[in-house]
Amino acid sequence: MIRAPLLDGLSASLPIALGYFPIAFSFGVAATRAGFSAGEAFALSLFIYAGASQFLALALLTSGAPVLVSAFTLIAMNLRHVLYGPALMRAAGQGASTKRAWVWAFGLTDEVFGQALGALARGQRFSERYMFGLGAGAYGSWLAGTAVGAVAGGGALDGWPALGAGLGFMLPALFLALLLSILSRRQVPVIAVAALVTVGGTLWVSATVGILSGMLAGALTGLVRR
Amino acid sequence: MNADLLTVALLAGAANWAFRVLPTRARTDRLAPGGWLERFLAATGPAAIATLFVAAILPALSPDLRALLPVGLGVAAVLGTYLARPSVVLATLAGALAHGLAVWALGPVLS
Repeated sequence: MIRAPLLDGLSASLPIALGYFPIAFSFGVAATRAGFSAGEAFALSLFIYAGASQFLALALLTSGAPVLVSAFTLIAMNLRHVLYGPALMRAAGQGASTKRAWVWAFGLTDEVFGQALGALARGQRFSERYMFGLGAGAYGSWLAGTAVGAVAGGGALDGWPALGAGLGFMLPALFLALLLSILSRRQVPVIAVAALVTVGGTLWVSATVGILSGMLAGALTGLVRR
Repeated sequence: MNADLLTVALLAGAANWAFRVLPTRARTDRLAPGGWLERFLAATGPAAIATLFVAAILPALSPDLRALLPVGLGVAAVLGTYLARPSVVLATLAGALAHGLAVWALGPVLS
């Protein structure tokens, strides 16, 4: 990390890149299946760069939801990211530079944050170049996966139902794994309320209402002092 | 290119950039420990991830055992792999692999 932090960051991004590629591929396929062009799918990955939001964006855009409602729904979905920067910099210690954060911190996704925090916990020194390498590897894989999936098109997996099923399960599997990674006794009521309200909202109203009401109810549960 | 899509992508992307970049410069000690904003923000992440998991898995749930078994095996693979080695990426890939293999073994469910 001291000699070539950029390369160290890139090599540390390898497991994330391997996980991102098939998810981004399935996003590219889903986007073209929903009627969007390869360029439009790529633009969503390039600008938003947040898996769950992008899948939701497809649902909102195809359902004809108003532009501002769609945008604010996606924005609300990624609110949790505001916590990552402060947590990372606290672990990096005083004096850690954030001069170039405007470049590398856009890549601070759930997995990149987890990997960076783990590296610091193992005693590595914080380096903006390392963060850039880590984020660039993951971002590059996300963009490449989207492009390949979108170009391959909606019919790409028709002859491969098992592969299509596996890729389709990538997202619930990712969320379950992320849930396990942040699970703590303190957050159990938050998770339980969010899950129950999501089920109720989805079954009785719509998937969009289920997602928004579930998130809000779970976050409000966090206000209850225990 | 669809103008609505581009507008949504740019607005959401700009917010993502702000959410990820600006807090790296924030003084974390300015949030009152245990304050309402700190508790709300701390609960937002778990609530969002739990919501997204439920929203993603709900459409896959079915009373048909042949459709439900691959989902159950996929979930079990995520849990088992994460307990054996707490890696989000490995657990995700194991879940997808188990689900895909189960569909391959059972054959796709025709709706």
